[in-house]
Amino acid sequence: MRNKPLRLHWLDIALIVGLGLAIAFVWYRIDGALNYKWRWEIIPNYILRWHEEKQRWVPNILLQGLITTIRISLYAGVLALVLGVILGIARCSTNLAVRMLARTYLEVLRNIPPVVVVFIFFFFLSEQLVSAFNIEGWARSIAKQENKDVWEFFFGDMRRFPSLISGVIVLALFESAFVGEIVRAGIQSVGKGQHEAAQSIGMSKPDQLRFIVLPQALKKVVPPMANQFISLIKDSSIISLISVQELTFKTVELVASTRAIFEAWITTAVLYFIICFSLSMLFRKLEKPAEINR
Amino acid sequence: MKCKRFSFSTALLVFVMAALTTPAMAQQASKSLSSESAIETIKKRGAIKIGLSIFKPWSMRDKNGELIGFELDVGQKLADDMGVDAEFIPTAWDGIIPALVAGKFDVIISGMTTTPQRNLTINFTDPYAYSGLTILANSKMTEGMTLEDYNSEDVTFAARRGATPATLIAEMFPKAKLLLFDEDGASTQEVINGKAHASMASEPTPSSEARRYPDVLSVPFGETFSATGEAFGLRKGDPDAMNFFNNWINMHTKNGWLKNRNDYWFRGDDWADKVPEE
Repeated sequence: MRNKPLRLHWLDIALIVGLGLAIAFVWYRIDGALNYKWRWEIIPNYILRWHEEKQRWVPNILLQGLITTIRISLYAGVLALVLGVILGIARCSTNLAVRMLARTYLEVLRNIPPVVVVFIFFFFLSEQLVSAFNIEGWARSIAKQENKDVWEFFFGDMRRFPSLISGVIVLALFESAFVGEIVRAGIQSVGKGQHEAAQSIGMSKPDQLRFIVLPQALKKVVPPMANQFISLIKDSSIISLISVQELTFKTVELVASTRAIFEAWITTAVLYFIICFSLSMLFRKLEKPAEINR
Repeated sequence: MKCKRFSFSTALLVFVMAALTTPAMAQQASKSLSSESAIETIKKRGAIKIGLSIFKPWSMRDKNGELIGFELDVGQKLADDMGVDAEFIPTAWDGIIPALVAGKFDVIISGMTTTPQRNLTINFTDPYAYSGLTILANSKMTEGMTLEDYNSEDVTFAARRGATPATLIAEMFPKAKLLLFDEDGASTQEVINGKAHASMASEPTPSSEARRYPDVLSVPFGETFSATGEAFGLRKGDPDAMNFFNNWINMHTKNGWLKNRNDYWFRGDDWADKVPEE
């Protein structure tokens, strides 16, 4: 099946030529109608710039935004995974109260648009959280320290830490609803025979879950999980609305400062594509062993 | 089994009720907190948190990605006079007033025009700058039109959502169609593309845009509209902060510092090499 030689059918050639003509036509129309002066030469400076004093290349606003987006997606992803697995297990529990609570949380967060969830959380809840735990005072004291480089590597400017935390938490809460449903589907797809076999050799319920059910369930749901994490990276652009300094927000600032609308947004699209595509490649590597084992 | 379920449900109920009362108590605590002045919070913190939104030339990013502009000068001078650090928090314009009310920063210094609607939610100080609005028009589409001709159903305006020009266009030209966008760049692009006849924005944006696209855009009328003044925005119920900011603005208006900075950023072109410009 794999050794079929690659031959070009006349249909392939016709499709490629047709596609090329369509793209060229659309581009010609856009270029004529838009009346826009392209200024690509200013973009590289906004990604990396030469710092005179330090005598080395320093990331400028687009790269800073990219790093913040990666941080946010990573922390929110890990948190969403943990919360989602707990939620998925809760959904399959025999206890009615636990099941109902999990169901309510899931349905509420799944059926409200993410923008609305972000605004509600940010303006009502996050301020209470931040003042209750005095996160701002703590973050500020770290920002004044001398050896804050480690903190800055993981969290960026520590003075902006409270808004970063709000963004990560709301993103994790929102995505955990979807991850929970995926995990539930995985758990329920593990055959009843497995549960019965584990019970017959005397395993307790928690041990059953930990050693038999969860490993199989999680392996089965790697494709939809990959989907969800890529979706998380894209949803992280929503928290630019609460002024977290991630890539989308920095691009809005760049456009407002230089009026280079198309160059800035196209560059940002490419940067997002690079992150999401690398993640998708990583997940494909994870799926491969699962296929062979079957 | 039944006993277990009953005790579990009771425990759950107690927990839920406790969780519901905690935000109510926090609410009361935050009400008494807000009676404390922003000045005290700033002194305790050692830094003043200033909310702003990128808007040329009030505030913008230069080639090094740093914030520069009129607001940055004003904020830094204010912080120096108070003896604290200045922290600038770039915020999306649509959410800047809710963010102030929610306590994300102490004051808005972002070229915000004093309007009655905004004043119902937040307090404004005395004005520290007066910039008027002018019309930026597509030269071909609006050739020979007088000011009254703009108020007709065939005319389309483009403006930034939530900003003063949008409200002013709706008042001055009620018959014309109004398209709203998230940023000035997008509304100017509409006019350049010919999808809208004109846009309105605070000077110096219309003049600099007309200079950049001289064959497409023009500023047809020399008069500026609605020069009511921009002021600092602060939370309601804070007489100490209001008194402090008003006196600070008054002092620097009288000694000419504010006018000096305003002329540098708005009338001149000296800073043009710090930002990429056509």
